[in-house]
Amino acid sequence: METYKIYSITSVVLFAIGLGGLFLAKHFLRKIIATIIMGGGVFLCLVSFADRDSLSYADPVPHALVITGIVVAVTAAAFALSLARRIHKFSGEETFTDEK
Amino acid sequence: MDILIDILLALLSVYLAFRCMLAPKLSKAVFVFFAFGLTLALAWIRLGAVDVAIAEAAIASGFMGVLLLDSLRDFSLTFSKNHNVIEVKPNNSVEVKNRSELFPKIGLGIGLLLFLLISLEAVWNIPEGGGLTALAGSKISESGVEHPVTAVLLNYRAYDTWLEIGVILMGLLAIFAAGGIKQYRKAGITPSQDPILRQAILIFIPVLFLFGAFLLYFGKMGPGGAFQAAVMWGAIGILLHLGGWPVFTEIPRRLRLLMLTAGLGFFLFLGLIFMTTGGALFEYPPAYAGLLILMIETFGAVSIAAALTAIFAFLTK
Amino acid sequence: MINFPTSSFPALLVALPIFLAILSLIFRINRRAIIGLWGSFLIGILALVSFIEVIQKGTVIHILGGWEPPLGILLRMDPLSAVFIGLTATIGVFISLYTWWYFRAREASKGRFPLFWPLWFFLWAGLNGLFLSNDLFNLYVTIEIITICAVGLAVLSGEKNALKSGLRYLLAAIAGSMAYLFGVALIYGSTGTLDLEHLSEVLKPGKTTNFALIIITLGLMIKKAAFPFHFWLPPAHSAALAPVSALLSALVVKGAFYMMLRLWTEVFEVSLTFAAGQLIGIAGAAAVLWGSWQALLQTNFKLLVAHSSVAQMGYLLMMFPLLIIAPGISSDSANWLSPAWTAGIFQVISHAFAKSSLFLSAGIIIMALGHDRIESLRDLVAWMPMTAMAIGIAGVSLIGLPPSGGFMAKWMLLKGVFLSGQWWWAPAILLGSLLTAGYVFMLLRLAFAPSREINHFRSVPKSLQICALILALGSFLIVIPAENLIQFLEGSESFGSGIQSIVKGGRYGNE
Repeated sequence: METYKIYSITSVVLFAIGLGGLFLAKHFLRKIIATIIMGGGVFLCLVSFADRDSLSYADPVPHALVITGIVVAVTAAAFALSLARRIHKFSGEETFTDEK
Repeated sequence: MDILIDILLALLSVYLAFRCMLAPKLSKAVFVFFAFGLTLALAWIRLGAVDVAIAEAAIASGFMGVLLLDSLRDFSLTFSKNHNVIEVKPNNSVEVKNRSELFPKIGLGIGLLLFLLISLEAVWNIPEGGGLTALAGSKISESGVEHPVTAVLLNYRAYDTWLEIGVILMGLLAIFAAGGIKQYRKAGITPSQDPILRQAILIFIPVLFLFGAFLLYFGKMGPGGAFQAAVMWGAIGILLHLGGWPVFTEIPRRLRLLMLTAGLGFFLFLGLIFMTTGGALFEYPPAYAGLLILMIETFGAVSIAAALTAIFAFLTK
Repeated sequence: MINFPTSSFPALLVALPIFLAILSLIFRINRRAIIGLWGSFLIGILALVSFIEVIQKGTVIHILGGWEPPLGILLRMDPLSAVFIGLTATIGVFISLYTWWYFRAREASKGRFPLFWPLWFFLWAGLNGLFLSNDLFNLYVTIEIITICAVGLAVLSGEKNALKSGLRYLLAAIAGSMAYLFGVALIYGSTGTLDLEHLSEVLKPGKTTNFALIIITLGLMIKKAAFPFHFWLPPAHSAALAPVSALLSALVVKGAFYMMLRLWTEVFEVSLTFAAGQLIGIAGAAAVLWGSWQALLQTNFKLLVAHSSVAQMGYLLMMFPLLIIAPGISSDSANWLSPAWTAGIFQVISHAFAKSSLFLSAGIIIMALGHDRIESLRDLVAWMPMTAMAIGIAGVSLIGLPPSGGFMAKWMLLKGVFLSGQWWWAPAILLGSLLTAGYVFMLLRLAFAPSREINHFRSVPKSLQICALILALGSFLIVIPAENLIQFLEGSESFGSGIQSIVKGGRYGNE
């Protein structure tokens, strides 16, 4: 089994964990962490495909896409975090369901 | 031996992701998140993606982790304030709720498992080989840089990178929009009283600056580049804020805006200049491409660093 | 692809809004609105000129950086994207005008929301970029731009409701884009290219492609609030400021729809089957019925309009099952394709006009009353005849009564449904219209009912009402150039083409 196969399988598992976490976790922070884990899975998937060609270096296109993707995902997550904190400051709520 | 390391890293990252989601305490989840990011960074080094590893360790794990840690302080502060009230009452109701929500949860679990199996099959069937490695390599002499990842980021797919520098600015604006911009103008953290901390920060700053500049310049030839440098420079701003020098909120508004928009604006400006001479947007003459890319990266790094500092300074109020 | 004439307009259509966003940021807050207003006129003019360019030259492309795909990125402006860009510009200019007066009218009490203009220009750049994009990953970046700016605009009021629904919107949208990106990763893994044109040549059917199709479609359905994933839309759209709600409902959700249309008709032909189309159709029909029914139950005007958005977006999904044709039948002999496409495009246009008008009217009503409870719309006709007229006209277009654009959309959809033999969609379309008629007439009945109170409406600038009225009229005026528009759209490669399914089975239309 080649290296990239191990990581591409891992990436799928990570994506599923993130997806499950996003649905099942209650707290805002945990939901936000879940989105980053999901992203980590996707990026790992892309990078693992870059390692297949076994030339002198790996495929640079997925690497560049992943760097772009990481920054975009982190920006979105930071925005979500600021919203969550703002909501918490206003009402003390930490989840979507609690009605305090 | 190699394969053992890979399997270990893979298992570790899955385990840490699980812990992130299932750790009973939120603070634990955040610490595990740091570890998760570092494990991923190691995995990327194993896959030969050093650029990505630096970006992951610095931005996804480092910057995001710091923001999460700080939010933790926010969330758990109020938690401990009404400790008794919160701990006793809702906990019971949560348990009752849990039972009634068991069936949808099992359904979701089965759905996720199914999803996992289908996606595993999909990934398993990916053909071996294929990709743009050879093509990207063959054009590298025209791109002005020697490192293929930098060539893709700043030349072949410069449009994406340009938009992405914009995304950070948009994220900052959106964070302002969510928080109300007036809050931003209030005084920040009270100056740290710890003289050792302040001294340590002052020592760190030139090191970080030089390291950032090094990453920026050597992005031409090896792993590194605008984003990695930006995080180093952003760390300077963040450290200064932590030490009680709210530099970013105190510099004049014009300069602040100039720093925030320089990357996006200069990138566009250069792109348009060569468009007026008959080329396409972001088309650089190969002779000058190396120099132009370095300039764009410098401005981009300044802008991203400023935006990261601003996000941090605004969020930690 | 490279054979098309190159033009610099596609690049300018993205560059100009971003330039204006930077410019508006640098200027002081009280000058920002001026830049915003004139800037949106400028983008409107640019969109018009590019539209004319496409009329004259047909599809034009712009090879960014001079790097041809698959290594580089290419912007493509074909008639279909030109229509979407034109629509965005038309609605955008009117919403900018409205916003200008809206903030002036609210200035005394509430402040002026300085971040509106830069975020709106970034959003505009994202929309234009999405419509022009020809690259899977670039589509991801543009849709993230749209998401971040849209949520940023939605939470602009800073109220708790807006923040909470904004966070729900953002998390749903992030999940959607991650799912989409996962699909993109798989496609890149199996083909080694991201360019849509290349992909349509090299993508082979198989398990990986099927899964990529499923996950990309799911991600986009979350983003466009299709039926099982619509939960975020009504609260987010109703909690935002009035001009922002109009932008979100009229333009932002259309972005994900446009992406889905492009990807289904141009890239994923190899994996689509009859069943896939039917599933999407069922989701659409469910959205039509559920959204209309929920709208009927609402007591707040804005929530009603937002639920109606869920329903109207459902009609768009119902065009997909009609596009999939049986193996062996050529696109030319399938006579229901043209009505189905016409229905889709006209639904997009008429809904954009009608819905933006309704949300702008909601803003006027909130300004006049201080709230938007439906029961206090009594006697609206007497005090604000123009707004009442705008609501009436936009409502009639939503129901689909002749001679509105909505009528054209629904009539063509019915025609397509019967020509293709998939008659089972007809009851959902008709029932949806009936329910829509229910809530529109409920509004109008109240508007005409005499009130016991003497004028409880505060005065609202006439200019705001005129904006809403013009947009409402737009949903009717659009049928006048309908013939020419369809002719123009036929120059687009995908317009009027079906998705040839390679798997046999099921009942394909008139097989």
